[in-house]
Amino acid sequence: MGAADPTPAPDPVNVPMVRHWVDALDDRNPVYLDEEAATRTRFGGLIAPFAMLQTWTMSRPRIQGIAERGGAPDSYGENVISVLDEAGYTATRATDSELEFLRALRPGDRLASKAVLESVSDEKRTALGTGFFVTWVTTYTDARGEVVGRQRFRVLKFKPSTPEEVA
Amino acid sequence: MKTASPVSPPWSSIRVGDVLPELDIPITPSVIVAGAIASRDFMPVHHDRDFAQAQGAPDIFMNILTSNGIVSRFVTDWSGPETMIRRIAIRLGVPALPGMSLRLSGEVRATERRDGEGWIEIELRGTTPIGDHVTGRVELTLPLDADAASTPPATSSP
Repeated sequence: MGAADPTPAPDPVNVPMVRHWVDALDDRNPVYLDEEAATRTRFGGLIAPFAMLQTWTMSRPRIQGIAERGGAPDSYGENVISVLDEAGYTATRATDSELEFLRALRPGDRLASKAVLESVSDEKRTALGTGFFVTWVTTYTDARGEVVGRQRFRVLKFKPSTPEEVA
Repeated sequence: MKTASPVSPPWSSIRVGDVLPELDIPITPSVIVAGAIASRDFMPVHHDRDFAQAQGAPDIFMNILTSNGIVSRFVTDWSGPETMIRRIAIRLGVPALPGMSLRLSGEVRATERRDGEGWIEIELRGTTPIGDHVTGRVELTLPLDADAASTPPATSSP
Protein backbone atom coordinates (compact mmCIF):
# COMPACT_ATOMS: atom_id res chain seq x y z
CA MET A 1 0.00 0.00 0.00
CA GLY A 2 1.50 3.26 -1.05
CA ALA A 3 4.49 1.37 -2.43
CA ALA A 4 5.84 2.71 -5.70
CA ASP A 5 5.72 -0.63 -7.49
CA PRO A 6 2.83 -3.08 -7.78
CA THR A 7 3.14 -6.18 -5.57
CA PRO A 8 3.50 -9.39 -7.60
CA ALA A 9 1.05 -12.23 -6.94
CA PRO A 10 2.59 -15.21 -5.10
CA ASP A 11 1.66 -17.54 -8.00
CA PRO A 12 0.62 -17.16 -11.62
CA VAL A 13 -3.01 -17.87 -12.50
CA ASN A 14 -3.16 -21.65 -12.29
CA VAL A 15 -5.54 -24.58 -12.71
CA PRO A 16 -5.05 -26.18 -9.26
CA MET A 17 -6.21 -23.02 -7.49
CA VAL A 18 -9.09 -22.71 -9.96
CA ARG A 19 -10.12 -26.30 -9.21
CA HIS A 20 -10.04 -25.57 -5.49
CA TRP A 21 -12.29 -22.51 -6.07
CA VAL A 22 -14.67 -24.37 -8.40
CA ASP A 23 -15.16 -27.11 -5.79
CA ALA A 24 -15.55 -24.67 -2.88
CA LEU A 25 -18.14 -22.60 -4.78
CA ASP A 26 -19.63 -25.59 -6.63
CA ASP A 27 -19.35 -23.46 -9.78
CA ARG A 28 -19.63 -25.82 -12.76
CA ASN A 29 -19.13 -23.32 -15.61
CA PRO A 30 -17.19 -25.64 -17.99
CA VAL A 31 -14.93 -22.82 -19.24
CA TYR A 32 -12.85 -23.02 -16.05
CA LEU A 33 -11.75 -26.70 -16.11
CA ASP A 34 -13.06 -28.49 -19.23
CA GLU A 35 -10.41 -27.91 -21.91
CA GLU A 36 -12.56 -29.26 -24.73
CA ALA A 37 -15.61 -27.17 -23.84
CA ALA A 38 -13.44 -24.10 -23.24
CA THR A 39 -11.80 -24.44 -26.66
CA ARG A 40 -15.22 -24.25 -28.31
CA THR A 41 -15.99 -20.88 -26.64
CA ARG A 42 -14.89 -17.46 -27.88
CA PHE A 43 -12.09 -17.62 -25.27
CA GLY A 44 -10.51 -20.53 -27.18
CA GLY A 45 -9.28 -22.17 -23.97
CA LEU A 46 -9.49 -22.27 -20.21
CA ILE A 47 -10.03 -19.05 -18.28
CA ALA A 48 -10.03 -18.34 -14.56
CA PRO A 49 -13.24 -17.52 -12.67
CA PHE A 50 -13.64 -13.74 -12.93
CA ALA A 51 -14.36 -13.32 -9.23
CA MET A 52 -10.96 -14.85 -8.42
CA LEU A 53 -9.23 -11.60 -9.44
CA GLN A 54 -8.73 -10.51 -5.83
CA THR A 55 -7.66 -14.03 -4.81
CA TRP A 56 -4.58 -14.16 -7.05
CA THR A 57 -2.88 -11.32 -5.26
CA MET A 58 -3.89 -12.09 -1.66
CA SER A 59 -0.86 -11.99 0.66
CA ARG A 60 0.73 -15.21 1.84
CA PRO A 61 -0.36 -15.60 5.46
CA ARG A 62 1.77 -16.29 8.51
CA ILE A 63 -0.72 -18.54 10.30
CA GLN A 64 1.07 -18.47 13.65
CA GLY A 65 -0.12 -15.40 15.50
CA ILE A 66 -2.74 -14.39 12.91
CA ALA A 67 -5.45 -14.05 15.58
CA GLU A 68 -3.17 -11.91 17.75
CA ARG A 69 -2.55 -9.68 14.75
CA GLY A 70 -6.30 -9.20 14.39
CA GLY A 71 -6.37 -11.29 11.23
CA ALA A 72 -3.64 -9.45 9.35
CA PRO A 73 -1.97 -12.07 7.12
CA ASP A 74 1.39 -10.55 7.99
CA SER A 75 2.53 -7.24 9.36
CA TYR A 76 0.87 -4.51 7.33
CA GLY A 77 3.50 -2.05 8.52
CA GLU A 78 2.46 1.45 9.46
CA ASN A 79 -0.79 2.30 7.69
CA VAL A 80 -4.37 3.31 8.32
CA ILE A 81 -5.37 -0.20 9.42
CA SER A 82 -2.61 -0.57 12.00
CA VAL A 83 -3.33 2.94 13.30
CA LEU A 84 -7.05 2.09 13.71
CA ASP A 85 -6.17 -1.28 15.31
CA GLU A 86 -3.99 0.45 17.88
CA ALA A 87 -6.76 2.96 18.60
CA GLY A 88 -9.09 0.07 19.51
CA TYR A 89 -10.99 -0.24 16.20
CA THR A 90 -9.85 -3.84 15.93
CA ALA A 91 -12.77 -5.48 14.15
CA THR A 92 -13.11 -5.53 10.36
CA ARG A 93 -16.17 -6.08 8.18
CA ALA A 94 -16.11 -5.79 4.40
CA THR A 95 -19.09 -3.74 3.23
CA ASP A 96 -18.73 -3.01 -0.50
CA SER A 97 -16.83 -4.36 -3.48
CA GLU A 98 -16.85 -3.11 -7.03
CA LEU A 99 -14.89 -5.32 -9.41
CA GLU A 100 -14.19 -4.35 -13.01
CA PHE A 101 -12.75 -6.82 -15.52
CA LEU A 102 -10.97 -5.68 -18.68
CA ARG A 103 -10.12 -9.16 -19.94
CA ALA A 104 -10.44 -12.79 -18.94
CA LEU A 105 -7.41 -14.29 -17.16
CA ARG A 106 -5.78 -17.47 -18.39
CA PRO A 107 -3.55 -20.03 -16.67
CA GLY A 108 -0.02 -18.63 -16.75
CA ASP A 109 -1.00 -14.97 -16.37
CA ARG A 110 1.33 -13.28 -13.89
CA LEU A 111 -0.52 -10.57 -12.00
CA ALA A 112 0.54 -7.74 -9.76
CA SER A 113 -1.61 -5.38 -7.76
CA LYS A 114 -1.32 -1.92 -6.36
CA ALA A 115 -3.76 -0.60 -3.76
CA VAL A 116 -4.26 3.10 -3.16
CA LEU A 117 -6.13 4.44 -0.15
CA GLU A 118 -9.08 6.39 -1.54
CA SER A 119 -10.85 7.64 1.56
CA VAL A 120 -11.39 7.29 5.30
CA SER A 121 -14.80 8.41 6.55
CA ASP A 122 -15.54 10.41 9.66
CA GLU A 123 -16.25 8.30 12.71
CA LYS A 124 -19.68 6.64 12.30
CA ARG A 125 -22.04 4.89 14.67
CA THR A 126 -23.23 1.64 13.08
CA ALA A 127 -25.24 -1.38 14.19
CA LEU A 128 -21.93 -3.20 14.69
CA GLY A 129 -20.24 -0.49 16.71
CA THR A 130 -18.46 2.81 16.23
CA GLY A 131 -15.92 2.94 13.46
CA PHE A 132 -14.54 4.24 10.19
CA PHE A 133 -15.23 3.21 6.59
CA VAL A 134 -11.94 2.77 4.77
CA THR A 135 -11.91 2.56 0.96
CA TRP A 136 -9.12 1.40 -1.34
CA VAL A 137 -8.86 1.19 -5.09
CA THR A 138 -6.70 -1.65 -6.35
CA THR A 139 -5.37 -1.87 -9.89
CA TYR A 140 -4.43 -5.30 -11.26
CA THR A 141 -1.86 -5.57 -14.03
CA ASP A 142 -0.40 -8.41 -16.09
CA ALA A 143 3.22 -9.26 -16.91
CA ARG A 144 3.27 -6.57 -19.63
CA GLY A 145 2.02 -3.99 -17.17
CA GLU A 146 -1.39 -3.75 -18.83
CA VAL A 147 -4.40 -3.27 -16.61
CA VAL A 148 -6.60 -6.40 -16.45
CA GLY A 149 -8.99 -5.24 -13.71
CA ARG A 150 -9.75 -2.85 -10.91
CA GLN A 151 -11.47 -3.06 -7.56
CA ARG A 152 -12.94 -0.54 -5.18
CA PHE A 153 -13.11 -2.17 -1.75
CA ARG A 154 -14.59 -0.78 1.46
CA VAL A 155 -14.33 -2.10 4.98
CA LEU A 156 -15.70 -0.91 8.30
CA LYS A 157 -13.03 -0.85 11.01
CA PHE A 158 -14.90 -0.75 14.30
CA LYS A 159 -14.81 -1.21 18.07
CA PRO A 160 -16.64 -4.51 18.50
CA SER A 161 -19.73 -4.60 20.68
CA THR A 162 -20.05 -7.59 23.00
CA PRO A 163 -21.79 -10.57 21.34
CA GLU A 164 -24.86 -10.05 23.56
CA GLU A 165 -25.44 -6.64 22.03
CA VAL A 166 -25.50 -8.00 18.49
CA ALA A 167 -28.96 -8.64 17.15
CA MET B 1 -30.97 -29.57 -8.56
CA LYS B 2 -29.76 -26.54 -10.44
CA THR B 3 -26.66 -26.98 -12.58
CA ALA B 4 -24.52 -24.74 -14.73
CA SER B 5 -25.76 -24.12 -18.24
CA PRO B 6 -23.51 -26.03 -20.71
CA VAL B 7 -24.13 -23.42 -23.43
CA SER B 8 -24.89 -19.72 -23.39
CA PRO B 9 -28.31 -18.46 -24.53
CA PRO B 10 -28.24 -16.37 -27.74
CA TRP B 11 -27.82 -12.75 -26.70
CA SER B 12 -30.66 -11.70 -29.01
CA SER B 13 -33.08 -13.91 -27.04
CA ILE B 14 -32.51 -12.02 -23.77
CA ARG B 15 -35.02 -9.36 -22.78
CA VAL B 16 -35.22 -6.73 -20.07
CA GLY B 17 -37.27 -8.24 -17.25
CA ASP B 18 -36.05 -11.81 -17.84
CA VAL B 19 -35.72 -13.51 -14.47
CA LEU B 20 -32.70 -15.68 -13.68
CA PRO B 21 -33.27 -19.14 -12.14
CA GLU B 22 -32.94 -18.86 -8.37
CA LEU B 23 -29.98 -20.40 -6.61
CA ASP B 24 -30.33 -21.75 -3.06
CA ILE B 25 -27.21 -22.29 -0.98
CA PRO B 26 -27.48 -23.75 2.53
CA ILE B 27 -24.76 -21.96 4.52
CA THR B 28 -22.70 -24.33 6.66
CA PRO B 29 -19.34 -23.91 8.41
CA SER B 30 -17.88 -26.04 5.59
CA VAL B 31 -19.23 -23.69 2.91
CA ILE B 32 -17.80 -20.67 4.74
CA VAL B 33 -14.39 -22.20 5.45
CA ALA B 34 -14.00 -23.78 2.00
CA GLY B 35 -14.80 -20.44 0.34
CA ALA B 36 -12.48 -18.48 2.61
CA ILE B 37 -9.50 -20.77 2.04
CA ALA B 38 -10.14 -21.21 -1.70
CA SER B 39 -10.09 -17.41 -1.97
CA ARG B 40 -6.94 -17.31 0.20
CA ASP B 41 -8.58 -15.27 2.94
CA PHE B 42 -7.17 -16.46 6.27
CA MET B 43 -8.91 -13.86 8.47
CA PRO B 44 -9.89 -15.86 11.58
CA VAL B 45 -13.46 -14.47 11.55
CA HIS B 46 -14.06 -16.82 8.60
CA HIS B 47 -12.83 -20.02 10.30
CA ASP B 48 -12.48 -19.48 14.09
CA ARG B 49 -15.76 -19.11 15.98
CA ASP B 50 -14.12 -17.96 19.25
CA PHE B 51 -12.33 -15.20 17.35
CA ALA B 52 -15.50 -14.19 15.47
CA GLN B 53 -17.46 -13.96 18.72
CA ALA B 54 -14.73 -11.85 20.33
CA GLN B 55 -15.29 -9.43 17.44
CA GLY B 56 -19.01 -9.25 18.17
CA ALA B 57 -20.25 -11.70 15.54
CA PRO B 58 -22.53 -14.61 16.54
CA ASP B 59 -20.43 -17.14 14.61
CA ILE B 60 -17.94 -17.39 11.73
CA PHE B 61 -19.32 -15.64 8.66
CA MET B 62 -18.83 -15.75 4.90
CA ASN B 63 -16.04 -13.58 3.44
CA ILE B 64 -16.79 -11.08 0.71
CA LEU B 65 -14.66 -12.93 -1.86
CA THR B 66 -16.97 -15.93 -1.49
CA SER B 67 -20.02 -13.66 -1.77
CA ASN B 68 -18.53 -12.35 -5.05
CA GLY B 69 -17.91 -15.94 -6.15
CA ILE B 70 -21.50 -16.96 -5.42
CA VAL B 71 -22.82 -13.91 -7.30
CA SER B 72 -20.61 -14.80 -10.26
CA ARG B 73 -21.75 -18.43 -10.17
CA PHE B 74 -25.41 -17.42 -9.93
CA VAL B 75 -25.07 -15.33 -13.10
CA THR B 76 -22.95 -17.72 -15.18
CA ASP B 77 -25.12 -20.73 -14.23
CA TRP B 78 -27.64 -18.88 -16.40
CA SER B 79 -25.47 -17.08 -18.99
CA GLY B 80 -23.10 -19.98 -19.68
CA PRO B 81 -19.50 -20.44 -20.77
CA GLU B 82 -19.40 -17.58 -23.32
CA THR B 83 -19.88 -15.07 -20.48
CA MET B 84 -17.36 -12.29 -20.11
CA ILE B 85 -18.14 -10.65 -16.78
CA ARG B 86 -17.35 -6.93 -16.98
CA ARG B 87 -18.39 -5.71 -13.57
CA ILE B 88 -19.58 -7.06 -10.21
CA ALA B 89 -20.69 -4.36 -7.76
CA ILE B 90 -22.02 -5.61 -4.45
CA ARG B 91 -22.97 -4.25 -1.05
CA LEU B 92 -23.09 -6.54 1.95
CA GLY B 93 -25.94 -6.44 4.44
CA VAL B 94 -26.44 -9.08 7.11
CA PRO B 95 -23.61 -11.59 7.47
CA ALA B 96 -24.07 -15.07 5.97
CA LEU B 97 -23.89 -17.37 9.01
CA PRO B 98 -23.96 -21.16 9.50
CA GLY B 99 -27.50 -22.50 9.53
CA MET B 100 -28.88 -19.83 7.21
CA SER B 101 -30.22 -20.46 3.74
CA LEU B 102 -29.03 -18.03 1.09
CA ARG B 103 -31.29 -17.50 -1.94
CA LEU B 104 -29.97 -15.67 -5.01
CA SER B 105 -32.48 -14.01 -7.31
CA GLY B 106 -32.05 -11.53 -10.10
CA GLU B 107 -33.36 -10.08 -13.32
CA VAL B 108 -32.17 -8.41 -16.49
CA ARG B 109 -32.27 -4.61 -16.16
CA ALA B 110 -30.75 -3.59 -19.50
CA THR B 111 -29.35 -4.97 -22.73
CA GLU B 112 -27.27 -3.09 -25.25
CA ARG B 113 -25.23 -3.80 -28.35
CA ARG B 114 -21.91 -2.07 -27.78
CA ASP B 115 -18.36 -2.49 -29.11
CA GLY B 116 -19.24 -5.64 -31.06
CA GLU B 117 -20.64 -7.46 -28.04
CA GLY B 118 -24.02 -7.99 -26.43
CA TRP B 119 -24.09 -6.33 -23.00
CA ILE B 120 -26.45 -7.41 -20.24
CA GLU B 121 -26.97 -5.74 -16.88
CA ILE B 122 -28.41 -7.80 -14.05
CA GLU B 123 -29.73 -6.61 -10.71
CA LEU B 124 -29.58 -9.25 -8.01
CA ARG B 125 -29.87 -9.99 -4.34
CA GLY B 126 -28.97 -12.81 -2.01
CA THR B 127 -31.46 -13.06 0.84
CA THR B 128 -31.41 -14.88 4.17
CA PRO B 129 -34.27 -15.33 6.66
CA ILE B 130 -33.04 -12.21 8.53
CA GLY B 131 -32.50 -9.94 5.53
CA ASP B 132 -30.37 -9.32 2.45
CA HIS B 133 -26.84 -10.64 2.68
CA VAL B 134 -25.85 -9.13 -0.65
CA THR B 135 -27.37 -6.75 -3.18
CA GLY B 136 -25.80 -5.54 -6.37
CA ARG B 137 -25.39 -5.40 -10.10
CA VAL B 138 -23.46 -7.47 -12.61
CA GLU B 139 -22.58 -6.40 -16.13
CA LEU B 140 -21.59 -9.09 -18.60
CA THR B 141 -21.25 -9.59 -22.31
CA LEU B 142 -22.09 -12.44 -24.66
CA PRO B 143 -20.98 -12.71 -28.28
CA LEU B 144 -23.43 -11.29 -30.82
CA ASP B 145 -25.37 -14.07 -32.54
CA ALA B 146 -26.77 -14.19 -36.08
CA ASP B 147 -30.12 -12.71 -35.03
CA ALA B 148 -28.43 -9.92 -33.10
CA ALA B 149 -26.41 -9.00 -36.19
CA SER B 150 -29.59 -8.32 -38.16
CA THR B 151 -31.16 -6.04 -35.53
CA PRO B 152 -30.29 -2.41 -35.01
CA PRO B 153 -27.95 -1.52 -32.14
CA ALA B 154 -29.06 -0.35 -28.67
CA THR B 155 -32.23 -2.43 -28.84
CA SER B 156 -33.63 -2.22 -25.34
CA SER B 157 -31.44 -0.16 -23.07
CA PRO B 158 -33.68 2.05 -20.96
